[in-house]
Amino acid sequence: MRRRVVITGLGPVSSVGIGTEEFATALQQGESGISPISSFDATGFPHRMAGEVPAFDPKQMLEHLDPREWGRTSLFAAAAARLAVQDSGIDPAALSRARAGSSIGTTSGESQVIEELTAQWVAGSLKDLDPALIRATPASRLAVAVNRELGLTGEALTLSTACSASNYALGHAYATLATGEADYMIAGGADSVCRWAHAGFYRLGALTEFVCSPFDRDRSGILTGEGGAALFLEPLESAERRGARIYAEVLGYGLNCDASHMVAPDPVSIAECMRRAHRKAGIDAAQVDYICAHGTGTPANDAMETQAVLEVFGPKPPPISSIKSMLGHTMGAASGFGAIASALGIARQFIPPTINFRTPDPQMPGIDPVAGVARPARLRVVQNNGFAFGGNNAITILGEVA
Amino acid sequence: MTTEPSSTSFPPPEPLYITGWGVLSPLGDGADEFSDAVVEGRTALTDVSSMFEEELPGDQAYALAEFRVRDYLGRKGTSFFDRSTALALVASDRALKDTELVVTDDNRDQVGLVLGTTTGSIKSTSDYSRETLTQRRPYLVNPVLFPNTVMNCAAGQAAIWHKLKGVNATIAGGQLAGLSALRYACRTLRWEDAEALLVGAVEEFSPHTAWATHLATSPVPAGEGAAVFVLETAAAVADSGRRADAEVLAVELATADPERGTEAAAEVFAQCIRRALRVAGVSADELWAVAPGSTAAGRIETAALAAVLGPAEPVRLNVAELVGECHAASGALQIAAVLAHHRSNPTLDGCPALVTSATREGTVGAAVIRGWHRDRGDHGQ
Repeated sequence: MRRRVVITGLGPVSSVGIGTEEFATALQQGESGISPISSFDATGFPHRMAGEVPAFDPKQMLEHLDPREWGRTSLFAAAAARLAVQDSGIDPAALSRARAGSSIGTTSGESQVIEELTAQWVAGSLKDLDPALIRATPASRLAVAVNRELGLTGEALTLSTACSASNYALGHAYATLATGEADYMIAGGADSVCRWAHAGFYRLGALTEFVCSPFDRDRSGILTGEGGAALFLEPLESAERRGARIYAEVLGYGLNCDASHMVAPDPVSIAECMRRAHRKAGIDAAQVDYICAHGTGTPANDAMETQAVLEVFGPKPPPISSIKSMLGHTMGAASGFGAIASALGIARQFIPPTINFRTPDPQMPGIDPVAGVARPARLRVVQNNGFAFGGNNAITILGEVA
Repeated sequence: MTTEPSSTSFPPPEPLYITGWGVLSPLGDGADEFSDAVVEGRTALTDVSSMFEEELPGDQAYALAEFRVRDYLGRKGTSFFDRSTALALVASDRALKDTELVVTDDNRDQVGLVLGTTTGSIKSTSDYSRETLTQRRPYLVNPVLFPNTVMNCAAGQAAIWHKLKGVNATIAGGQLAGLSALRYACRTLRWEDAEALLVGAVEEFSPHTAWATHLATSPVPAGEGAAVFVLETAAAVADSGRRADAEVLAVELATADPERGTEAAAEVFAQCIRRALRVAGVSADELWAVAPGSTAAGRIETAALAAVLGPAEPVRLNVAELVGECHAASGALQIAAVLAHHRSNPTLDGCPALVTSATREGTVGAAVIRGWHRDRGDHGQ
């Protein structure tokens, strides 16, 4: 027996808004969260824009954790989780007594803590490192921060499968609930903007200067982003029993690995991942009403993703948009934000847009990127794509509760 | 504190078996060498003073002082591997050679990898970050090394090396990584996302980990190693008529917030261990051994074990005394140490053992496994 699992709470801490209402409004209006980098000294970098969350104030959002003892990424995760629980309307005390846990995805974990330690190393030597910072380093702390903020005693799993990690986390949380191993789960992801990723993407030729324009003929790369994305999950029966607002049902997920190249995406493998996700969710490709794209805005990703979509869906695929046009690439949080956007789209009947889209790419025929602003639409089934370095493909399928 | 399952209508979970395993550790290369060393009680402590240019906190640590990846995997395609990646690749290679599972084009999309880590290769990441501060321009980093800074580098490279196209997950768990990876792998197999998984964990030794371990006042110096197990469903093992090295009877995880005090945290940990024993259908006095975790959460773990075991006195396998503070690799090496004793000792056949782990932050876990011996030469083909 497998229980049906639904999403009843959302917790976006993003560059376009904190909390469900701000985030939903930004998606509908096609707002940009891109600004000049302030979290590190970007002097000397040719490109100096990113999707930071300067409005993030963990002290205002967290009820239990002491922000001084945790790195920025753990705080993003914990704050997002707190928001998702508030949004779900569940009694936090009852939640902490229940069989509840979290699974949180990330690419770079506590990257800003590691950079601060590295600066101490450069300024002195390794033996001068601050032990308090060392304690704040492990990436495993992201999920622990969620559990400790909420007083959860279940598992705290941090999945570090890079930029598809939130979908890994969401899939795990869903299966854990479906099999009865837990009764409530927080799933999502978190990452922070950092120097080394900014430098690395620039040197790979994957970083654009001002504007991220996925699926556009003239797209020229990503902008790095940050934030925390959390979803509150419970069995359908439990949501109905407590009269909770249900955003969407988790129908299934598919995972696979290119096993061919660390950086270059493989469209054959991505197509296979889509088919696997459809099979596991018990749907046909024809049922998908919208694809929330990985859509990084690099020439290679969007071309390969499109190729896979055309192979699986035929020449007339459903609308496919990229919220990275608004948020930048939030790395391990990206498919978490994609899941939140998909759930909102299902619940409030709209397709999130791709902003900055001007010119169709003749190499990608048949693509409808939902340019500019959101489009009203009833979404029964949504496919949320997440791909990553290491060839780690992860796709989740969400749907209207039927 | 934790309420019992709200529903009892779930069938008992499908049994899962370890059909081969591999280790790369200063104690040995491969399951046989490692097993001999563990049974003899050898320690991996060695002179590390000439390993790196950077100063180290001590001349002795539990490291593979002479390790060069090309000696194990050849030169081709290995020159940019960081140490974590190299250790994981060798251990997974040894695991695949130790099992009778054969990976071919017919099943490689159903064979995957679940690998535990702390923070990936912290040396790769920190060195990369350092370049942005010390180069003439902050962006003059080496793009070829950029993938080494992501935590799933080792898992991704292992998938490429062994052509494993199934689920490929990296679990950042610190000392709990081994048990967390095992639990994730069990769930993944039972959800039919894969037919077989390589599951394990890796930690590298570097000046960074040596100092971090030292400055965290660990009672033992840093170590390194990787252990990888081939995990399969009962059906897959039975269908092919193969034998197993061990059955994974239970893996349970919990969060025991240390801020609530040692006593409360130990109680949550004890409940987690009791749950694992209950799922396994094993009582404390049936355990032949307990392999407790790292040294980081000693008091809470000790108290939890005392509460659960009561008068039972299973053998204590203090693996950290042999392999040092191996952080993410600790739990996987503890399981390997249990299997090491089984490997050549038929009198332990079918006897269950308990493995526990904990982190400083309060994640705790318990696994119950039972192993069987192998006759020497009884290897995978």
